Amino acid sequence: MNMAYSQVISLCRKEWRIVMDTPLGYVMAVAFLIVCGFFFESNLFLMGQADMRAWFSILSLLLMFFIPAMAMRMLADEKRSGTFELLATMPITTMSIVWGKYLALWLQIMVLLALTLLYPLTLSWLGDLDMGQVLASYAAAVLLASSYAAVCLYASAITRYEVVAYVLGFVMLLLVFLLSKAMPTFSPGVQDWMVLLSPLSHYQSMLRGLIRLSDVMFFITMSGVFLTLTWFELERRRWR
Amino acid sequence: MIQTKRLSRLYGEKHAVRELSFHVRHGEVMGLLGPNGAGKSTTMKMLTCFLPPSSGTARIDGIDIQQDLDVRRRVGYLPEHAPSYNDLNVHGHLSFMGRMYGVPVATLNDKICEMSAACGLEGRLHQRIDELSKGYRQRVGLAASMLHDPDCLILDEPTTGLDPNQMVEIRQLIRRLGEKKTVLLSSHVLSEVDAVCDRMMIIDSGELRALGTRDELIALSSSGLLLHVCMRGDADAVVAQIHEQYEACKIDSQVLSGDGVTKLIFRHPDETISLAESIFTAVVAVGGVLLEMHAQETSLEDVFHRMTGGTS
Repeated sequence: MNMAYSQVISLCRKEWRIVMDTPLGYVMAVAFLIVCGFFFESNLFLMGQADMRAWFSILSLLLMFFIPAMAMRMLADEKRSGTFELLATMPITTMSIVWGKYLALWLQIMVLLALTLLYPLTLSWLGDLDMGQVLASYAAAVLLASSYAAVCLYASAITRYEVVAYVLGFVMLLLVFLLSKAMPTFSPGVQDWMVLLSPLSHYQSMLRGLIRLSDVMFFITMSGVFLTLTWFELERRRWR
Repeated sequence: MIQTKRLSRLYGEKHAVRELSFHVRHGEVMGLLGPNGAGKSTTMKMLTCFLPPSSGTARIDGIDIQQDLDVRRRVGYLPEHAPSYNDLNVHGHLSFMGRMYGVPVATLNDKICEMSAACGLEGRLHQRIDELSKGYRQRVGLAASMLHDPDCLILDEPTTGLDPNQMVEIRQLIRRLGEKKTVLLSSHVLSEVDAVCDRMMIIDSGELRALGTRDELIALSSSGLLLHVCMRGDADAVVAQIHEQYEACKIDSQVLSGDGVTKLIFRHPDETISLAESIFTAVVAVGGVLLEMHAQETSLEDVFHRMTGGTS
């Protein structure tokens, strides 16, 4: 196995071990499921329909709170405890460090999303659920979460303090949310650009059950941009 | 082998390390001495490719530190305060470090056992690191730095926080390792460097002040022969006789205590003369009794103090 590849996996495994060995992961999973379950149930009984569109809309909000919490210690903790010096003097490139951390974070989020698969399974048993649309919505949620994870990893790279990393990540995501909510107040020309650049408008468009290449490419590009910024932030110490 | 040539590092406008040139041979333990903020850690950070030098070059086993991945593979590094993953247990931490350095999975467990035995960590392998004392964490850091059997070890203050017994053990371990590897260790504990290192260098304000074996450094900063004499009898006559014989000889102090005993300190810039013999003869000649005489040796502390301008 290629050395860089196996190092990325080892770093990812280490992160997983910390999540599994500490209450961190379990607390996060339980909290996420409780909140998700609450919104799922309330929608289900309110509407009485086998439909998950409203739940997926709320999910984008929930990710805004949970992903910064899962990402906050990823790099900030390494910097504060001094282990970043260990990591940065290992025979591993900075990009591999970023990939290892991102992969670990991404997999944690995927586990949380996978746990929510219980809801569509319940719905399909209770009523007639449009599985195509649900699968497209899950693909949208995965892509949105991936780009949010990259944003929050970057937030964790720019500070030594976990709480600051959480607040920074949350504020960046909140800004995205508020801008997309305030979209109608802008002039039509600006609105066109905002639709193009807002992750939430790409997400909403995918929730209709349509997977367009442009939407997929948008999320991949956004993740790429923030992972590059993270790499830049970690390398910056060398140029000072 | 470690070789540096005019290695410098700037933090903003300030020189943390300035034109540092030295080499450490294979099978040698080199001590890096200096007061706090002298540039010891910055030097080590450059050698381990954590920070690039602002100017100058360094080579580890002939490989330029610009080729950072190749250099890092050859170096075992223990950063200051021995950071480790507190949420993992000792085995988890060591196994992660081993994997990252490319230790084959098949031999990883044997390596962990070997290194934890060498560092006295048996029985602690399944304990979480944040439950360990500082001394044990230091050992974990040391074991982790040696897992991949590096040719070159760079240890930043390896024995801070250890109790005296642990210190002796770790020093012995470093000495043993030094026979087969290139070791550079920093410290501000002079006795430690004295006990462990073949050669040492003193840096202050980022600049090299002195480099050599213990005896070379002492000779370099020696201020001549210093004799402490304790006698009963006519001390003034003795001093006059000695002055007659050696014009350059100075009396640093002359104290007469109540019981008729005089304590004198003679100083002469030339260490090779037989001043002691002359003093003995002079005391006998004036009918006095020589109670005690000893030469004061220049200690490493004196050397350090003089070289670093007494800033520590």
